[in-house]
Amino acid sequence: MSWITNGPLITVQVMSGLSVGMLLFLVSVGMSLIFGVTRIVNLAHGCFYMVGAYLMVTLVEIFPDQPWAFWLALLLAPLGVAILGGVIEMGLLRLIYHRDPLMQLILTFGLILVIGTLVLLAWGPDNKSVSRPDALAGSVKIFGQPFPSYYVLVLALAPMVAVALWLVFYRTRWGMLVRAATVDREMLGALGVNVAALYTQVFMFGSWLAGFGGALAAPTVAVALGMDGDVLTTAFVVVVIGGLGSFAGSFIGALLVGLLQSFGILVFPAISIVLLFALMAVVLIVRPWGLLGRPEP
Amino acid sequence: MAPARWLGLLIVVLAVAPLVLPPFFLQLLTEIAIVGLFATAFNLLMGFGGMVSFGHAAYFALGAYTAALLVKRAGVPLLLALPASPIVAAAGALLFGFFIVRLSHTYFAMLSLAFAQIVFTVIFKWKALTGGDDGLLDVWPPSMLKSPAAYYYFTLAIVGLSILALRAIVDSPFGYALKAVRENPRRARYIGIDVRRHQLAAFVISGAFSGVAGGLFAFYNGSVFPDFAYFTKSFEPLVVALLGGVQSFFGPLAGAFGFKLLEWMISRQWPVYWPLFLGTIVVLVIVLLPSGFVGLVGGRRWPARPASKA
Repeated sequence: MSWITNGPLITVQVMSGLSVGMLLFLVSVGMSLIFGVTRIVNLAHGCFYMVGAYLMVTLVEIFPDQPWAFWLALLLAPLGVAILGGVIEMGLLRLIYHRDPLMQLILTFGLILVIGTLVLLAWGPDNKSVSRPDALAGSVKIFGQPFPSYYVLVLALAPMVAVALWLVFYRTRWGMLVRAATVDREMLGALGVNVAALYTQVFMFGSWLAGFGGALAAPTVAVALGMDGDVLTTAFVVVVIGGLGSFAGSFIGALLVGLLQSFGILVFPAISIVLLFALMAVVLIVRPWGLLGRPEP
Repeated sequence: MAPARWLGLLIVVLAVAPLVLPPFFLQLLTEIAIVGLFATAFNLLMGFGGMVSFGHAAYFALGAYTAALLVKRAGVPLLLALPASPIVAAAGALLFGFFIVRLSHTYFAMLSLAFAQIVFTVIFKWKALTGGDDGLLDVWPPSMLKSPAAYYYFTLAIVGLSILALRAIVDSPFGYALKAVRENPRRARYIGIDVRRHQLAAFVISGAFSGVAGGLFAFYNGSVFPDFAYFTKSFEPLVVALLGGVQSFFGPLAGAFGFKLLEWMISRQWPVYWPLFLGTIVVLVIVLLPSGFVGLVGGRRWPARPASKA
């Protein structure tokens, strides 16, 4: 337990935990947002994250040796995912909003198979990697401990997204409509709001967030088939802890899970995943609908 | 023809199959029987308990790995290793189910999926015990059961006994109480049924028989892989049960027959495309057939059904 007294190591560990948590937040807040408005639990949400990362692989390679290629790719990859989300929402989900929630779950489960195979066909079975932009390839010293510069970007960017999200939800008319839709969709429609269009926008926005998370995470992980399942599980743990449909809940849940993973690896390397599960189990016993969620109607 | 005569005919056909079918089709039939048991166990939850698990691969994999590990690492003979499969799977189902049955509908499905992913991750990462990504190879039955025909009869016997046991459970007072819980949990509670305990018991029973299927599959396959616990595997009993019809007890067995035959025909030609094909069918059927798969096969709409008769 010598790490307990090692202040610099703990600081770095906290920071890397927060970075992981921030990436998780991007994915889980999108999942939570989509659920809050459409009442669909999008099991294909992890696929959007995966597609974001794979698009990043391809887009970065279009302009090799250009310092701005990475940033352009980071801008375009999530947009591509948002378009994919829009096509899925308008082509499929729109037809089943009135149906048994179970059928909706099964449909998004089916999408996992379809998207997973299409990614396999498009990018092949081998793992890919995205190199970090030159300016962020190294590491910075934090109290004498090395810390990857790229994680500094993640730490800086993700809270900006979080603040921007808060402003969008609580300070714009569109955000007000989204929040109204989570409370009473029928009433919103009766008041003359085009709810169908709102659903599409929300779904595309949620997909964009997952795609952005995937694109931003791409240089920190192996871009591989199966990353959709991993992130789906973790994002799911986040929203269960924080409460499905709760914006702040996703934030708190993501930071908790990120920190837990970061310290779990330090303290119990082999069973860090079990810690995650234990935290979720405790939350489920005490508050089955999550820390900041609402009880299921 | 009366059902009993159909059953008699089926038994005769299955008994003489090894005399006429080449070994490959015997293996296919063996696999159909295993998947049929897996789907029937799953349907105890979905069809009779009204609980949809999206993570039943966890209990299948626990059964498969238990049997494979006992044989490979401890040198236990098959006939002792196989009974351990349902015990370990039931223990896993008890641990996870304790939390899962506290939730309903969507949350239930998602939590079961999350637990299955945890099982997958543990199998995948615990290389020293499970071999990780490489799986455990050379998990073959003893020479007595090694021929396709011998293992076919062996599987058929175990699956048959398991199906009889499941049938007895469905027809027991417990089975009727479970159906009451499915139809109206609140009313069931009023008449004194402990809803959660019944749901948990059904979850454990279902997990145990999924474990039997997993154990049988380990020796059929000769190897076990982390994929057994992956969420695409959890999809299998769900689709099979929906294909065959969730209201009837024997529906999933029929569904397993159709599903595996289809899978064999598709993956023989294009192995990579099978998930794409399956996913597309699922998506299209849900979008195009308002009453789901069952409308396609049985004509009755799920979940509306008479509660008195299975």
